Amino acid sequence: MILLDSICAVALFSIGLYGVLVRRNLVKVVMSLSLMEASTYLLLVAFASRRDATAPIVATTAAGGIASARFADPFLQNICLTAIIIGVAITAVFLSIAVRAAQHLGTADTGALRQLHG
Amino acid sequence: MGHPALLAAAVVAPITGGVLATLLGRRSGRAALIVAVASLAVAFAALVTEAPAVLGRGVLVTEHFGGFAPVDGHQLAITWTADGFGLVVALTVAAIGAVLVGYALSELSDLGPHELGWLAALSLFLCAGVIGAALTADLLNMFVWFEVSALASYGLTAFWLERPVALEAAFKIAVLTAIAGFLVFVGMGLLYQQHGAVNFGELHRAMAGAATRVDVAAVALLLAGFATKAGLVAFHTWLPDAHSAAPGPVSAMFSGLLILLGVVGVVRTVFVVADPHALPMLGVLTALGIVSGVVGALAALGQDDLKRLLGFDTIAEVGLITIGLATGRAAGIAAAAMLLVNHALFKSLLFLDASAIVHATGEERLSKLRGIGRSQPVLAAIFVLGAAALVGVPPLNGYASFGVLHADLREHAPVLLGAAVLIEVLITAALTRATCLVLFVGERRATRQHGPKVGMVAAMAVLGLLCVVAGVAASAVARYVGQPSAAGLLHAGDAAAAMLGGSTRLELVAVHADLLDPFELMLTAGILAIGIGLGVRLVRARQPAPVRAVRALHTGSVHDDVAAMIVGVILVAVALAPGH
Repeated sequence: MILLDSICAVALFSIGLYGVLVRRNLVKVVMSLSLMEASTYLLLVAFASRRDATAPIVATTAAGGIASARFADPFLQNICLTAIIIGVAITAVFLSIAVRAAQHLGTADTGALRQLHG
Repeated sequence: MGHPALLAAAVVAPITGGVLATLLGRRSGRAALIVAVASLAVAFAALVTEAPAVLGRGVLVTEHFGGFAPVDGHQLAITWTADGFGLVVALTVAAIGAVLVGYALSELSDLGPHELGWLAALSLFLCAGVIGAALTADLLNMFVWFEVSALASYGLTAFWLERPVALEAAFKIAVLTAIAGFLVFVGMGLLYQQHGAVNFGELHRAMAGAATRVDVAAVALLLAGFATKAGLVAFHTWLPDAHSAAPGPVSAMFSGLLILLGVVGVVRTVFVVADPHALPMLGVLTALGIVSGVVGALAALGQDDLKRLLGFDTIAEVGLITIGLATGRAAGIAAAAMLLVNHALFKSLLFLDASAIVHATGEERLSKLRGIGRSQPVLAAIFVLGAAALVGVPPLNGYASFGVLHADLREHAPVLLGAAVLIEVLITAALTRATCLVLFVGERRATRQHGPKVGMVAAMAVLGLLCVVAGVAASAVARYVGQPSAAGLLHAGDAAAAMLGGSTRLELVAVHADLLDPFELMLTAGILAIGIGLGVRLVRARQPAPVRAVRALHTGSVHDDVAAMIVGVILVAVALAPGH
């Protein structure tokens, strides 16, 4: 599963990167970046998983012991949550820049954003 | 010695101030900026209490937040360690940040309270991000500070929301920094997956000796991610755009302070996380430094926009800093640390002066600014002072840091000395050309102009004075900035132990700044003579082919910028990989 998830993550990252490299619409560039971002979460969550692992919640048995010693690594899931929060903020900034730029330039084409060069 | 927990005050103060500033911005922009200056002053005061121990005696001060000490050598709780390098960066950010916000208070005081409130808040978040990154000993924590300062930098770049170029620059910095963030994030994930650690000290122990393929990939990703923030070439394209589009004090903050986050990240990756002798890290770093120096300086030579020129020069300076770090020797690292502080001083001064020139004339293009110095003698004098400090005119501060770097390279790597001298000649030429164009060549202009305000001149006077003092007192700078910075990076094993254990004292290696060394004086005279000659010639001459070629590479397309960055990542990974 880790391998399959990792391959999926790399594939998603590559699709996102392809979008950033070739899509000329600002919103599609932002969407591609979001896809790249999601692929990084998938990769880290894949790293966190173990064979036959449960969710990282400590459940106690009737005798007071821990129900299952095999659970996914909570640390990696935790940092994914941190990164998701940051990612939402960044996407909001991205979209507001894109909307503003489209309003000012009358187009959402990245070709219009080439005044700063050389 | 201050209590280790005081380190936290260095970020708590600016973040609290930032939240306050957004609230105050509803009523009074001036109050928001004053709060910003005050909270950076508090951060500086908190950091200064650690300075005698860290910078004076080479102690590493460690704080495990929440009282979660490591268990059996494992540490997942956030740990901060103030080593010489980190503390120098943090102090620089707090001090210069306060001056820059003070300048903004004066120049931009005509703006509405809402704008000023957010300017103050975002500046504080940016400074907090860099200070946090400089002091943390935890990769995850560093990623968070990376993103804190990144978010602030997007907002600050887009500060002039009504200008399309500001939006363009903001979009580019956001795309490139976001991808850099992914690289750091994945690099951290790979390292954790391999070693189960994010604490630098723990990673250092786990990575000692032979590195696996995954380790190499992770280190390459971290290096590329932080190099983006530092503005090293192939990852640098956001930098000149953001610098030319943002307000002047913000450009100064980007050039002097924001790039330090990247430099700190590179330093931690190369010296603490990875074993610089197990992987060809120092070679890769040297190559990045030389390419950045040459490309940045050549591009600066052909610019017409004053702030963009200074932005490209920043890339060249980071290149020189990187060459110094990549020596892996006490004197080279000390020179890099000195240059880092000195660059923050004189580049901030130059950006503020450029901003004051724009403020006075409404023009940013050198071709339109011709001869402005005759009607603005104060601004002209400040520009000449800043440029002289930058190119290394003795006894200003640039000279001392170049001198320490030259002395080390002359002894150990004469080829690299040649590369550094070439970069310095090109930088000198670029600044000479700008100085000639702005100040002296052309007719006296009769357009409507107004002089700088008192607060603006005061902020520039502080920075200018510091440039002179840091130059004259170079041996003290070498002792209290250079030596402790080098100690923490050279004794990475001891530093790693301190990050897991507690405060440790390191042995300082003596580094001397000899201002009167005859060889150094002759070398400087040669660099200045050739550079100034070239610069004066290029005032009227057609741009040489290398300059045009480098400028043609900067197409301005965000797609090309990302492509350059990806090529950079692949090259770094391939260069690190031999034997794997």
